Amino acid sequence: MIDSLLGLSIFFPIIAGFICLGIKNHKARGSIVFLTAVVLITSSIFFLRQGSFPIEYSPAPTWGWVILVLNYVILAYFLFVAIKDFAQRGISRHNVLTIALTLAAGIPLAIFEFSQAPHTPLEVAPTLYIDHLSVIMCLIISIIGSLIAVYAIRYMKDHEEHRMHLGELKETTQPRFFFFMLIFLGAMNGLVFANNLIWLAFFWEVTTLACYALIRHDETPIAITNAFRALWMCLIGSVGFSLAIIFLWNSPLNTISLTEVINSGALAYPVLLLPIALLCLAGLTKAAQVPFQSWLLGAMVAPTPVSALLHSSTMVNAGVYLVLRIAPAFQGTHLSTLIAIYGGAVFLITAILAISQSEGKKVLAYSTIGNLGLIILCAGINTSLAIAVGIMLLIFHAISKGLLFLCAGAIEHHIWSRDIEDMEGIATKLPVLTGITIIAMFSMLVAPFGVLITKWGAMEAASGIGVWSTLVLVLLMLGSGATTVFWAKWIGRFLCHSPVPGRAKKEPFIPLYHGILLILIGCAVVLSVLIAAVYNGVIAPGLTEAGYNAASAFTTSAWFLKSSIGIFAAWPIFIIIALALLIPSLATRAKPEESHASYMCGENVEIGTDEFVAVADERTQLKTGGFYIESMLGEGNLNRFVVPIGVVLLVILFVLVVI
Amino acid sequence: MSTGWLIGSAVIAVIVAPLVGGLLRGIDRKLTAHMQGRIGPPIIQPFYDVIKLLGKKPMVAGRAQLVFAYGFLALIVTAVIFFVRGQDLLVVLFILFFGSLCLPLGALSVKSPYSQLGGHRELLQFLAYEPILLLAAIPIALKAGGFPIANIFEYGQPLLPDLWLTFVALFIALAIVMRKSPFDISSSEHAHQELVRGVITEYSGPYLALIEIGHWYEMVLLLSILGLFWVVGSLWWLSIIIALGSWFIMLIVDNVNARLTWSWMLKFAWGAGVTLVALNILFINLGWM
Repeated sequence: MIDSLLGLSIFFPIIAGFICLGIKNHKARGSIVFLTAVVLITSSIFFLRQGSFPIEYSPAPTWGWVILVLNYVILAYFLFVAIKDFAQRGISRHNVLTIALTLAAGIPLAIFEFSQAPHTPLEVAPTLYIDHLSVIMCLIISIIGSLIAVYAIRYMKDHEEHRMHLGELKETTQPRFFFFMLIFLGAMNGLVFANNLIWLAFFWEVTTLACYALIRHDETPIAITNAFRALWMCLIGSVGFSLAIIFLWNSPLNTISLTEVINSGALAYPVLLLPIALLCLAGLTKAAQVPFQSWLLGAMVAPTPVSALLHSSTMVNAGVYLVLRIAPAFQGTHLSTLIAIYGGAVFLITAILAISQSEGKKVLAYSTIGNLGLIILCAGINTSLAIAVGIMLLIFHAISKGLLFLCAGAIEHHIWSRDIEDMEGIATKLPVLTGITIIAMFSMLVAPFGVLITKWGAMEAASGIGVWSTLVLVLLMLGSGATTVFWAKWIGRFLCHSPVPGRAKKEPFIPLYHGILLILIGCAVVLSVLIAAVYNGVIAPGLTEAGYNAASAFTTSAWFLKSSIGIFAAWPIFIIIALALLIPSLATRAKPEESHASYMCGENVEIGTDEFVAVADERTQLKTGGFYIESMLGEGNLNRFVVPIGVVLLVILFVLVVI
Repeated sequence: MSTGWLIGSAVIAVIVAPLVGGLLRGIDRKLTAHMQGRIGPPIIQPFYDVIKLLGKKPMVAGRAQLVFAYGFLALIVTAVIFFVRGQDLLVVLFILFFGSLCLPLGALSVKSPYSQLGGHRELLQFLAYEPILLLAAIPIALKAGGFPIANIFEYGQPLLPDLWLTFVALFIALAIVMRKSPFDISSSEHAHQELVRGVITEYSGPYLALIEIGHWYEMVLLLSILGLFWVVGSLWWLSIIIALGSWFIMLIVDNVNARLTWSWMLKFAWGAGVTLVALNILFINLGWM
């Protein structure tokens, strides 16, 4: 059973990807993608229903050779594209760093694998390790990821038609696009199940490859530059992986098994602290934490399904997944405290930077980095409560942020702009889409949606860690305030409109846009209401398997979430919100005679227009705009401090580890 | 605890809170008038105003505006009920924030220069006070041994002696929430400085009445949070003195100050307010308080 499920989760999408590569017909390719989605969703649910976790599995040793060879093939490909770029566009920081870091990741690993290791390929038992945490990730990848891939069938069609219309594109490049999307899904499933660090590093490399290829998909100069930036920054993580593998093998533990490292822990073996920190570094680069945030922002040039799949709900999650996974190994060390402070700093910095952004996708990108920072913070606090909260945020953030990116993509394909200012008043033009988007934003922002419940949990968990909690809490609370501002501001732009007579006309229902969005918003709401069941069903057993005490994190009674120091009654608040906001918004309607023009000192031209009488009786169009506080909070102003702060924090982290 | 008492206490709070809030608003207007050398309206004028507003013809610029007016009142009433039921202080604050957020969202949903400006400025106020209020919950919980408000009653000792730093910070935050000078950035509580009232410019008639009633609940809730600092023991009545005393000082501060800029407010709130609570948390963790 388990081997066929693994095959369906990892190999099926990869094979489907290769099939897509050869299909020029849009409908046929769409069917393959759709079929893959069905297979992935089904097999992930079967994973959940497997009775006894953890499950250990080791495939035939030949697979070790396949992984080993393919790993170097991918590294060679990175070298090839960097050298090609060097030949075509001349020397640049990006291609030089790509070459240097590929060599730095590949050569030590090759020397280790072929001359130092007792066997080639190096085996550990088990190769794959499946527990609740990896199944949670598998569910996120398989369900949300598949839905995004299905959405992309329609999105890419519109996207290419638009680009062909503009004359930017002559021939379809969709086979390549779906090839990378699907093999990415397979690789992610492999990544979360891998226990052998060489396997983990290989799947990690595949996701880097897919990330690079999908960012440069549109082949514009800016896309190529940003793809290389993402590549070399993620390769820093690969260097971390290679070094961690070598250090771990040469440590007294003499292993490259992830579970063995976690079970031993750095408290018992202080020498493990450095490889653990290197693995965390790999996680931080993948999760685009400051100072590596620029790759994720640059990645926003990619088509929006890529941003939804790789850059918000799955690939960047692999980074925080790794940190959460190895959190038990650094429990009780200084590293843990530093990681908490670091995560808090990232959360605050990105929330402030997001206020100044006027491009919708960049706001989403900053918010993603911030929420991943919050998960890192939870891993750093490292109590049972904090880890429970971290896993919850992993789930809820993936749903809400994936959804928001898809909303942004659908809106973009109606107004052909990503600028928030161009979204002024679209609530009247696209009422359904805007309604879903606003609810999705609320699900990131207000009680009692899942993301806010985790924020509550993080605050309560952070209050219990002694002296350093002060700093962590200040970062957390200030970041929370800034988060409110950038979301509310954006919602305000959607809604800002002059009175329209009669009922707003609904836009046509597009199944692959609206349907998918509705499924995801349904997940976000239902799982938030049933958060107690989610906790009992998957998170509590996951905590126990990781060696935490699930009972000291949360208990549930009457579907309330109860910690030892607090209580969150989620569903009563939902009922009240439904009564207070949903019923008036669906049932009531301002009668035509009740609607009036806005106040303009009595100088309105006439009702129904947004003009006013200005100097010399001239009719002037009213213009409104959002607040961005560029002069104070703009990237140009703040990045001077942000990147050095990130670098200094990481340097402190490593200096402390080495000491 | 019986279900009857559960529902009863919530009902009493829902009925009593706006009466107290409205009365305080009336006294506020009277005292302010006296300080400015005027006679001022009768103390129950706010009730007259709201009754009159409720009878007016409804006028809105869009459906969103109307939804957020209902939302504002309903969520703040919810926060009051959660407070009375001794629920988690952070959760009460989060519900209050959602309620308070309805006000700028309602303002931003109208294409009007005044309400747009007011809405954005309200968000800046939010940025100033939200961190202080959230942070203030931490030292309270550290002392009381948990976040539920019920714990503060079980704790059995007044909080103020150990938490006076937090109290001062909360005082600043509440002045911002209640739009008292010098923090009345989005619109002043009294229309004493302006003809067009920022964030509520576009509200009129019954919807303005909803918001007015919401403000009464909000004021009572915020003053009750200040009252938590001395709520137990034989001197429990000091909590009422503390709440009303703070309210009175706020009123004087309001009258002797002019409105300042939003950037000053932000710097002051993050600089002074957040620092005070942070120091308080640090001192508790170090065992000094």
